[in-house]
Amino acid sequence: MNDKPQGLTAARLIYQDRTNRVMELKAQGRKIMGYMCLYPPVEMMTALGLVPFRIFGRYGEPTSSADTVLTPVVCHFLRSMVDQGMKGNYSFLDGIIGSHTCDIGSVAVHIWKDYIPEPNFVYFIDVPHTDHLPAQEYFKGQILDLKRKMEEFAEQEITDSMLAEAIALHNRQRQLVRELYELRKADPSPLSGTENLEVMVALCSLPVEEGNELLQQVIEEVKERSQEQLDERARVLVWGTVLDNSALLQVIEESGASVVIDDTCVGTRAYWDDVPVGGDPWDALARRNLVDLKCPRTYRQASFGQLKRDYDAELTSRFAYLKSMAEDWKVEGVILQSLKYCDGHGYDVPGIRHYLDTLGIPSIYVEHDYTEGSLAPIHTRIEAFIETIKL
Amino acid sequence: MSHNQTPLYFAGVDIGSTMSKVVIIDEEQNLRAAVIGPTGAEHRRRANEVMIEALGQVGIALESVAFIVATGYGRLNVPFAEQQVTEITCHARGVMTLFPEVTTIIDIGGQDAKALRIQNHKIVDFITNDKCAAGTGRFLEVIAETLDLPLYDMSQISLKSSRPLQITSICTIFAQQEVIRYLSEGAALSDVLAGMHDATAARVVRMAHRIGIQAPVVFTGGVALNPAMVRAMEDNLGCPVMVPSNPLITGALGAAAIARDKYHRLTAEGRIPAVSARRLEEIRLFEGGAKT
Repeated sequence: MNDKPQGLTAARLIYQDRTNRVMELKAQGRKIMGYMCLYPPVEMMTALGLVPFRIFGRYGEPTSSADTVLTPVVCHFLRSMVDQGMKGNYSFLDGIIGSHTCDIGSVAVHIWKDYIPEPNFVYFIDVPHTDHLPAQEYFKGQILDLKRKMEEFAEQEITDSMLAEAIALHNRQRQLVRELYELRKADPSPLSGTENLEVMVALCSLPVEEGNELLQQVIEEVKERSQEQLDERARVLVWGTVLDNSALLQVIEESGASVVIDDTCVGTRAYWDDVPVGGDPWDALARRNLVDLKCPRTYRQASFGQLKRDYDAELTSRFAYLKSMAEDWKVEGVILQSLKYCDGHGYDVPGIRHYLDTLGIPSIYVEHDYTEGSLAPIHTRIEAFIETIKL
Repeated sequence: MSHNQTPLYFAGVDIGSTMSKVVIIDEEQNLRAAVIGPTGAEHRRRANEVMIEALGQVGIALESVAFIVATGYGRLNVPFAEQQVTEITCHARGVMTLFPEVTTIIDIGGQDAKALRIQNHKIVDFITNDKCAAGTGRFLEVIAETLDLPLYDMSQISLKSSRPLQITSICTIFAQQEVIRYLSEGAALSDVLAGMHDATAARVVRMAHRIGIQAPVVFTGGVALNPAMVRAMEDNLGCPVMVPSNPLITGALGAAAIARDKYHRLTAEGRIPAVSARRLEEIRLFEGGAKT
């Protein structure tokens, strides 16, 4: 057909230079909408013809500008993200939608408004920290407010059919991602965690249709890979904070493990649940993004308002999804990783470890700070952990 | 097993941040050689030197060692090892060889401290200090240098204290300043030193509590040679600790035991490691020293 890179090669190129494709699209007149975390509904951007572009930091680049406005005790991912904004590296964005993911996430939106002149459109969507019905109602109100602001920005209304079409496209993407993950159930997995991450990062940097096309190519390519017969590597699940760079996964995979599944937001969390269709789409968006999306930033209880203590029931209601992942992907160990200062993830660690203990799945917790330097001291711990599974 | 005329030897090489250790065992797991030397800056040459000395103790050539496992910080710099295994796994194995009943292992080395929980002869959880030097041998060295006291004297003076002072800083530099401030205020040296040992032990024990501490506890690493630290650990743990007669070599001993296992597993699978091919390469390295 042509010489355009396909599949995994194409994904790697976009991973290495995320703005590659969106700059071309921008030159053609498309508007690029940046968003922070998974809470702003990408379906609304797609419906209006905007290209959703997830805002990350720049892994490994020392921060400088952000250090003038942030205290030392700030998650290094958000620090780097703000830093990139202050350095003007996101000035190509036509708009930004930030969200109340966590406290520093909110502050990041503030700083963006206060210190970074471009773009003009910076919206902050409030996301409740609980997932019960009143919270869903409130979040739906926030989404509808965002809808009005986005319509003004794009000078166009989001009609029901436009939204339905966008939801279908994004649900298709989720289905394709799950199909790709399905292939990793094989032992050995034909796709490494490192390669998978490159694809996931590419998806956050492309219009949904192009992402879907890329996914189809990747799935075909991975299906054609010949299976090695012998694989003594331990199959691990990686849980935790945002991984927009493969350095940690490489350390894990060089230490004798194969990352077969993850519970992270540039991975399964973004794609595991569809937006339900058939009912009110705004209810569906609110429910999917607040309830189905499993980030520790949301406080979950087995039953709200219940005084009775039932630790096991709480753990099960919060973490049972990890059990099915572990069973279906034949997981032999779990690596819980977190960026330093991420309170949300940090506080979930004891509960998750207890839960995994009850399942008989070994786990380890490691912290890092968005630099490769911080991986050196945990390299040996990860290796030792893998040795406890397979030596 | 007809070729089994010559005795089998297995070696463990532990290149730590401060010290390099080599242990050679035989088929019956008897300790045949144990050598300790400083690591210094030239990991590669140091590994060779310590190895040559250990081979000399047994009176064998390098080719007579059936399998070698390297461990420790410098494990990748041991060109003659067949396999690298982390010091965490090796320490556990070495200690279990000496104390089969062990449940908790606390190891304090030159620049790290670790705690391991053992169940049914397996590591079920472990924790290491991956942030700073407080609570490690290096901390004690810094204080010893500041006071211009040999480590041994520092330990002995400390044991004479009846009222240890409290050192509250967890940072090495701040703790050092606290020690100096106490001394400038006229506090007894023994009380200050006892407080310093206590603070070091308390820090490691706090870390170890995160994985759960259960007796029997074995205390290893270079710092376990310090009687004041042994006492401080027991005070902080609230139970006695067992210290191997040579607490520095448990990692190398474990590496040697793992080498023995590995050799037998590979032999059973018909995949005996090709020792001869590798030896030549590394004899050249011996002659050339640390040119690379």
